[in-house]
Amino acid sequence: MKIPYFPGCTLYNKARGLDNSTRASLAALGVELAELSRWTCCGTVFPLARDNYMGMVAAARILAGVAGEGEDRLLTVCSFCYNVLKRVNYEMQHNPEARQKLNDYLEENYTGEIQVVHPLEICKEDVGFNAIQAKTSRNLKGLKVACYYGCMLVRPALEMGFDDPENPTVMEELVAALGAEVVEYPHKTTCCGSYQVLHENDLVRQRVRDILNSAAAKGAEAIITSCPLCQFNLDWLQGKILEQDAGFRQIPVLYFTQLLGVALELPRESLGLEQHYVDPRPLLLGA
Amino acid sequence: MAVELSNKMSREIIERIKEISGQDPYLCMQCGTCSAGCTGREVMELLPRQVMRLLQLGDARALHCRSIWVCSTCLLCTARCPRGIDLARLMEALRVINLRSGGEVLVAEKIPVELLTRVPQMALTSGFRKLSA
Ligand code: SF4
Ligand code: SF4
Repeated sequence: MKIPYFPGCTLYNKARGLDNSTRASLAALGVELAELSRWTCCGTVFPLARDNYMGMVAAARILAGVAGEGEDRLLTVCSFCYNVLKRVNYEMQHNPEARQKLNDYLEENYTGEIQVVHPLEICKEDVGFNAIQAKTSRNLKGLKVACYYGCMLVRPALEMGFDDPENPTVMEELVAALGAEVVEYPHKTTCCGSYQVLHENDLVRQRVRDILNSAAAKGAEAIITSCPLCQFNLDWLQGKILEQDAGFRQIPVLYFTQLLGVALELPRESLGLEQHYVDPRPLLLGA
Repeated sequence: MAVELSNKMSREIIERIKEISGQDPYLCMQCGTCSAGCTGREVMELLPRQVMRLLQLGDARALHCRSIWVCSTCLLCTARCPRGIDLARLMEALRVINLRSGGEVLVAEKIPVELLTRVPQMALTSGFRKLSA
């Protein structure tokens, strides 16, 4: 199976590990990602001001381009890319004014026919968790994993149509298929503070501390996510928290595709596990 | 809450807020569900519910409070409001009215270099889109 793939700007830079592990792990499951021949940044955030159509242009152009190639699906893994592409697509389907303005500007005739999909959906719907379980060669038995969705994958529920917005479970189902132990904790869909790391750093530090402590209190040894910004906030800020609180226990924060890659025993170079602030290698590779 | 005359927003601005957000703040029944879950609540001097109340009163402090810049557009308030108000859109309308008149809070030169060189690209794009003119 071959699916058009939009990596996004961050995956070409700071989140190389997410890009590489997504391509490698899906390939091992029989899903080939065909990177778009031309793409730009998606704009990262969906504009909430109703008169801001410029904020939707980049995503609309990407979607129209994929439709122009005769494709019917587009896969992306970064939570921000997934959110903005899916919401702009929803606008193209349901908002005649947005559709007309964007099409007029882009000189396109796109009506939202592309389906924007996430690797978690591919794992569940196309490959199936039983098939994934059958393909894993390394058993992660005993590893306690907390799944962190953050805000962008699940909200707003109507447009994202991703999973249960208050209690999504698709990542937990994947963890269980890999043989690891799912840790339930109350913060899986709260926000880590996101881009406020640039402006309200203390707030983000506080949010991160709450999320990590809550997962740790339930015994989590690792946290998985699909968002490069969640990953960064949850990972990098641990060093800062440790400076203030010597008793703080650090937890590796991985991309779910990296955990999948470890279970599939993919070559280490394809996983990017050395790029984290809190090193996950001792836990995952015993190295 | 006493509203000083000098704090009154003009009809025109109230209409613009409604137009840009597509939301009606008068639907708010002040239950506080939005504030209870808000990501930024610990550093907001006015919680989302209070911003709603000021909007209902036409009080210009809603337009100039720090809360609108603390909001991380996580949409938790929007997801949970029992009156179906998309609060995140109202927060955005309050921000863009400031941004479109040149008021901004995130200035590139003020971001510490240590952070600037490490943050994922998406943080910069989204931060500047939400917090800079
Ligand atoms: S949740 Fe909705 S109704 Fe309740 S206080 Fe907030 S805006 Fe008002
Ligand atoms: S969108 Fe903004 S106001 Fe609403 S809960 Fe999130 S941070 Fe608070």
